[in-house]
Amino acid sequence: MNQDPTALSQRLMWIVWPAFLMAGVLEIVVFAMVDPADLHWQGAPLEASRQAVYTVAFFVFWFITMVSGALTTLLAMSPFEVNRCPVPRDSRPETCAEDCPRQGTP
Amino acid sequence: MNTESAPLRKVIPIAESLDKGPIEPPPGADAEMVSLYEAHKKIYPRSVTGFFSNWRWATVFLTQIVFYGLPWLEWGQRQAVLFDLGARRFYIFGLVLYPQDFIYLTGILVISAFSLFLFTAVAGRLWCGYACPQTVYTEIFLWLEKKTEGDRSARMRRDAGPWTLDKLWRKTSKHVLWLAVALWTGFTFVGYFTPIHELGREFIQLDMGSWEIFWTFFYGFATYGNAGFMREQVCKHMCPYARFQSAMFDKDTLIVTYDAERGEPRGARSKKADLSTLNLGACVDCSLCVQVCPTGIDIRKGLQYECIGCGACADVCDTVMDKVGYARGLVKYSTENAVNQQWTRAQTLRHVLRPRVLIYIAILGTVVTAMAVSLAMRIPFKVDVVRDRGALARVAEGGRIENVFRLQIMNATEATQRFHISVEGMPGLSVVSENAIAIASTQARWVAVRVQGPAEGLAPGSHTIHFEIAAEGSIGKVSEKAVFIVPR
Repeated sequence: MNQDPTALSQRLMWIVWPAFLMAGVLEIVVFAMVDPADLHWQGAPLEASRQAVYTVAFFVFWFITMVSGALTTLLAMSPFEVNRCPVPRDSRPETCAEDCPRQGTP
Repeated sequence: MNTESAPLRKVIPIAESLDKGPIEPPPGADAEMVSLYEAHKKIYPRSVTGFFSNWRWATVFLTQIVFYGLPWLEWGQRQAVLFDLGARRFYIFGLVLYPQDFIYLTGILVISAFSLFLFTAVAGRLWCGYACPQTVYTEIFLWLEKKTEGDRSARMRRDAGPWTLDKLWRKTSKHVLWLAVALWTGFTFVGYFTPIHELGREFIQLDMGSWEIFWTFFYGFATYGNAGFMREQVCKHMCPYARFQSAMFDKDTLIVTYDAERGEPRGARSKKADLSTLNLGACVDCSLCVQVCPTGIDIRKGLQYECIGCGACADVCDTVMDKVGYARGLVKYSTENAVNQQWTRAQTLRHVLRPRVLIYIAILGTVVTAMAVSLAMRIPFKVDVVRDRGALARVAEGGRIENVFRLQIMNATEATQRFHISVEGMPGLSVVSENAIAIASTQARWVAVRVQGPAEGLAPGSHTIHFEIAAEGSIGKVSEKAVFIVPR
């Protein structure tokens, strides 16, 4: 999306880290109420150790919260960022000059 | 806002215009481009000694002795602090907590938040500079880096130079040491959730459970990455506290400040030069304050959100001031008001107790007291009541009406407790099932309880009743609501 590598790493930090914190919060809140030993999966009791459920659930929470953060950063991009050509001006191929509406962007 | 000094905003149309074709950007548009993202340059913090540095090392030792040591501490027959997730019991010294004691966790979180607000309002980012795990592990990792690779200039030179055997050896030993600390940290972390003595035995016999191994490596890897590589990036781009710290700051908050009035105009000078003839301030522009900064900022530009309040710049500036024979405190830990109005230390301290601080203290005091009282008066068992799913009600011998309930009794002590159940709420109601229930230490048990009431005089339908559960030798009683059904 963006040619600046630090932009990507910073965006990743914004997505991964808050999601990690919130996954921790979700883990505490959910498993304070729910005993993994009581869970059922498709009608049958879940045959997994509590540790397994805690671990898998943490990563599921983390992943879903990350998707939320990723959508937020996607929507938070300014129109300028969305519209600009992602390739730096001096390394754009000759062929795209004719028909690309974004070729005029810096 | 002063419109004259603000740069003119250039609008760059990107859509093709119908009549004019693609629009060329205005001349000079390239020059206008400013990256929204800060370019990342690797920071090589120079090591520093002094007052704040000593305090930081003291807190590093204190927090890490507690963190690494606490899981090994024994309390009676068990680990003193153990959050036994497998058994869903939390042990904190004499306390045995169930998941139902969630309110105490909430209490601890509220206390932590208000402590942070209070410390921040009074003395800035004390947490960040001295106690945050990010700072503490970065400090430990930087120390290991200095031991293997040398200080700032040696590291910079070596990183810029070609790979040699010496460089390889030094880098390898650094990473081995980092990994050792990181894995030990991960192991200790897991030791808070799984009995650590057992875990240690399993580790020696290479027989650790797969989840334990996973979390040891996961937490260890996070430590290695955050303290070894991410460092100030975590504070600058990942930490929410850095972003809302200003909500707790005011002009009487202690922060690391540069005395610009005394320091400016800055400039290098000969040691023998007479300051009064030079038209120079006290700042000799040696740039050491920038070199020691773990987040790579220049404190002389004023308070910045990147500043974690560690005081490294104040320490190094004091040593420079000593060397050139000027008074210390060009960069110091002070308040904005104190620097502007040249208050003495006593005057500064007098401004600590202000409404904001008093409000934080009041809230904090209330929550701490409420939690202490609640813990002291805590009844050492819990009860859940569920109606038996099988039968609503039946007529027992003698024409009495019987309901069956299931009670879960949870013993929150480490001794066997004997419980008695009585029932109230309707005349003639009594418990007819076995009524002296012994439950072993920290165990929970479901008990079937049969309750009978007289048939005559009871209207058909639901009646609210209360179970009263008392433990032998315990002062408290637990009362739980239930519904007694009388059939038509």
